[in-house]
This record gives sequence, C-alpha cells and structure tokens, in this order.
Amino acid sequence: MSSFQFEYNQEAVKNLKIEDTSILDRLVDYRHAREARHKKDHSQRDKRMSLSEAVAEYVQDGDILGYTGFGYVRTSLQSDWEVIRQGKKGLQSIGSPNTCQSYGVTFGNTPYTHASYAGAEMRGYDKYFSDNIKSGRVKILSDWSHGLMGLGFKAAQLGLPGVFAKSGLGSDLVNYNPYLKVMNNPMVKNGDPCVFVPALCPDITFIHVHAADMYGNARFFGPAVNDLALAGATRKLVITAEEIVSNTDIRWNNKGVQIPFQNVDAVVELPYGAAPGYMPGCYYWARRWWEKLFTMMSEGQEHMDKYVREWILDTKDTRDVLKKLGGVDFMINQKRLAKAAEADNEDSGVSFKYEPWTPNTPPDVFD
Amino acid sequence: MAESKPMNPLEMLAYVLSRQINDHEVVYIGTGLPMVAGILAKKTHAPHITFVYESGGQDPIEGGMPWSVGGPETYRKSPMILEMPYSFGQAAMGLVDTGFLGFAQLDMYGNANTTMIGEEFTNPKVRLTGSGGNNDVASLCEKIVFVGIQSPQKFVKKCDFITSAGHLTGGNARQESGLLGQGPIAVVSTAGVYDFEPETKRMRIKTLHPGVSPELAQLASGFELVRPAGEIPVTEIPSEEILEILRHEVDPQGFFISMPGA
Repeated sequence: MSSFQFEYNQEAVKNLKIEDTSILDRLVDYRHAREARHKKDHSQRDKRMSLSEAVAEYVQDGDILGYTGFGYVRTSLQSDWEVIRQGKKGLQSIGSPNTCQSYGVTFGNTPYTHASYAGAEMRGYDKYFSDNIKSGRVKILSDWSHGLMGLGFKAAQLGLPGVFAKSGLGSDLVNYNPYLKVMNNPMVKNGDPCVFVPALCPDITFIHVHAADMYGNARFFGPAVNDLALAGATRKLVITAEEIVSNTDIRWNNKGVQIPFQNVDAVVELPYGAAPGYMPGCYYWARRWWEKLFTMMSEGQEHMDKYVREWILDTKDTRDVLKKLGGVDFMINQKRLAKAAEADNEDSGVSFKYEPWTPNTPPDVFD
Repeated sequence: MAESKPMNPLEMLAYVLSRQINDHEVVYIGTGLPMVAGILAKKTHAPHITFVYESGGQDPIEGGMPWSVGGPETYRKSPMILEMPYSFGQAAMGLVDTGFLGFAQLDMYGNANTTMIGEEFTNPKVRLTGSGGNNDVASLCEKIVFVGIQSPQKFVKKCDFITSAGHLTGGNARQESGLLGQGPIAVVSTAGVYDFEPETKRMRIKTLHPGVSPELAQLASGFELVRPAGEIPVTEIPSEEILEILRHEVDPQGFFISMPGA
C-alpha cells in the first residue's frame, strides 16, 4: 500500500455503517495501482494461457473485480463464471452496470459491491440482489451512478487523481458514497459546486474482445462502455478474445485497436467468451436463458442456487456451456441473428420473433 | 385483430411521451417506455431526431426494439459508437436536448428514486436497480421528461432516496446546487401530463387523459398537485393508425406495451 491516508465522505461512511474504512482504500489508491503496473514486465512477449490458468494466477481472494461490457452485451461472462468455479472468495464487484454480480453472490464469492445498477432493464429489478442486500449476504460499500463511476475509471485511465463532475449534485448518491465529495470548483470565485470523483482502480478486470495478438494488443467493436477506461484503470488485466491474430494483423487492421498491450497480463483464446450474452456481430444472446435466469432471480435463493450450479459449477468450461445451450444449432442460429441485428447481413427474412421463456418451455431451449 | 383491441394505459403512456419529443432534437433515451416512445416518435412526427444511449451507441438505423440501452439496435450501423463517459459528456457539454427517464418514486419537484424503498438504506424493504444512468441524464441534459405509472405509492411526498435530482426543494434550488440544465419540464403518467410551475417548480396539471378528473388525478397522488385556473385540456389520444404502428412496428412482441396478464 502507498502512504496515503484517505479522508472519506464521513456522512456516507456513517450512512453505510462501514466500521473499518480500510476496506475502501485499495480502489482509490492510485499510487499503489501505479506501482503494481510499473512492476510488470513491460516487454512484448507471448502472454497466451488458458482461462483456468489466468484465473488461478491473477484473481486473488479479496480482489476488487471489474465488470465489463454492458449487462449481457460483450460481458466477459465465461471468465466471471470461471472465477466462481475456482471458488475465489471475498471479492468486491464494481462495474457500470454490475448486473452480473448476482451469480457471484450465489456462492458467496462476492460479499461486497460498489453498486451502480443491478437489474434487467425491461424485465425489472433484480429481486435476488435485493434479498441479498436485506439479508446482509452482500454489503454495499459505495453507491454510484453509471456516469460518475465511468468518470472514476476514465480518470484512472488518464492518470489523473480524480475529476470534478456535474452529476450527483443534490442527490442522495453523495450521502451514500464514501468516495464522492461535493466541492467548489477552485477556478470559480462565486461558487460552482461539483462532485469530486477519485480515480478508481480495480484489482483485476477481464475484457472480452473480438481479436488480440499474443502480446495483448486488442480490438473490439460495438459500445466500448467503460472498457477502454478499465483497461488502463485496473491493476491486472486479462484479455479474452474470440480469436488470437498475428501482430501483423493488428498492425494492418489497426482501425479498431483500442487496448494497448502494456497493462495486459494474460491473453486467452476464448471463442464464445461472452456467451450466453451478445457479442457484437458474432453471436446473439440466448434470450430464453436470460428470461429463465430473471425468473429464478425472483423465485429466490434456492432456485438461483440450482440454476447457477447447473450452469456454472456443473459445467467444466465454455465448450460445455455451449453444448448445453444447444450446440451447433445454437451457434449457427445465434450467428445469423447477430449478423442480421447489426445489418451486416441481409435481414429481410430473418425473424427475431420467439416465445419468451415460461415454465412450459422445453428444458433444452435457450435461444 | 390487434388494432381493434382497446388502447391500454401503457400504449397511451408511450404515445403521450412520444408527443413530448420534438423533431430534430438530440434525445437521451432511458430504458423501458422511453425507448418505445422514442422509436414511435421517429416513425411518426419526429423522423429527424438523434438517439443517444449511455453504453455508447447513438443514431442507429432503424431496427428492432432493444432489450436494453446496450443492445445491437442502439448502435445498428451507427456513424459513431462512443464510450460511456463520452456519451454522458455530450449531455454535460450541451449537445443533448432532452432526456427521457422512468422512476419508481417521484416527488412534487421532480426528484426521482430508482434506488431503494424503505426507511433504512442498509436494510431496505426493496433494493431497486440503483441509478444506472438515471442520475447522470437528470443532472446533465438540458431538459428532462419523466414517464411512469401514477399512484400514491409512486407520486410521493418524499422520495425514500433521491437517486436523481429534479428541482430539489423548488424555486432556484436546482441552479444553486450547481446542476446543469433546466431540469424536469414534464411528467407523463397514466393519469395525465404535468409541467412545473415556473416559480415554485411544483408539479402542475397540464392535461388529463380521457375520463380522468382533477380529483381522480389527485387521489392517485401522494402530494398536492398544482391545479391551474380554468378548464384543464384533455390529453390527445393516439389515432388508430398510430396505435397500429405502435403495436406492429415499434413493439410487435409487446414487451413494453402489453399489460401484465392481458
């Protein structure tokens, strides 16, 4: 740890009933994060390894785990599941959104959250997360808006101690977030209240991309959400990619190169690493899989335990998950839907109609 | 035949909200009904609007109804796909005209709650979604329009948690707090359309939906609604043609506009 002594928003510390604030320190200790990044081997070298090796080596109990993508879009779900399979404990989750923290809660991997958004948008709030907050199985360490958290990651990526923002003012977020402070803009004499957002540095982040080279130079397309920022903000970074391409390919098709290799610790070839979610232009999300999940979330602990056990603990790896989702038929169909959804392929004649999941849906139908 | 079905309250909400969208504006679209209303507006009276979504997508070509504000329909062949801080940054910079948001609770000054219900934050009755982008859109866009179902549990004297600042305690409070933009300018509910009284910044009845009296609207509110002098106009209802567009083109699966159990 660095020599910083942190001065948190005391009102928020009190409101959140945080007794020992040292649990808050690492997220905002940008000097400590700098040191961790500085100590890495910065050479261009082959960083390829398997997902289970990457998780075993780079995720420690108690780590702050950054969630990437957007809920079900280009989220590193298969990596997050491997973290659960390996039984990592005491994790803090952070991400905007951090909807997927619910799986981690199930098996007690994630007792802490820096909350921003937990839910399924049109399908409502996450009742399971709500129950876990009430029972104390998960504790909120700070409550955020997406924009404010995004600025914290962005500040870290730009190497800034923090930024002054215009979100959050007047709201209760500043009363329930130890990291946020309402301060005057020092450049304005007659008053310009702002919210100071410190740089946010998670310990470990998995980012799923379309292509990366063996050094970790990576490209993806679709919404970046907070992933460009997180790639710089995090202390440890694992890139999982639909395909590993040559460094020449990265250099000659460089329009989409967004993540530079230096901060990357491991490169994992992981086709379907975002399944059962959506990968822009590659595969559609398993709609009924998610609908069933949302239903299980509302049914409570026992049902969630069973669902997550079935999909995460009782599967060996991503290939297993794909077989369960419907195998070859699933993969071909989801590719077709994704290409049509993005207007990359002819979309007339491609139907997006389907029957939403109900308890009467056959047990092996998830697309 | 779907179009012969009587209009349901969610369809009315989607239509009335769509009428709040002016052509040529840049609009920040929250999840749920705002997406339906935005797409309906684009297909009807406001074909030149530009959509901005918090995940980074903006200005997609026509496609299906997104599941969420991050789905492929939010950036389908977009000229530019951004990242979250840049997306919200556009609102802060003054490049977004109006933001459209939902709420779980709303008070008379247009402050919204999407975080939790209950007395105690650490032991809530219900933990809701949390802010997501709600706070940022409400804090940063020039104008805000809220949409939601009206009941005394939703139109409340005091929000259990202020996720998103509206006019705070009324008067000049929003400006004094340092927030940007004009704040909430309208609320579209299942009972009517409201604006905000210019001095006090309290929610005021603008129009009421067919069959809703001011007394009924008041019964469905936990705070006193400001009632303007004179006759209160009746909200315009959608034509058969617009209902058909809504049901067959905008939300053909009825994810947003079908009533539970209907």
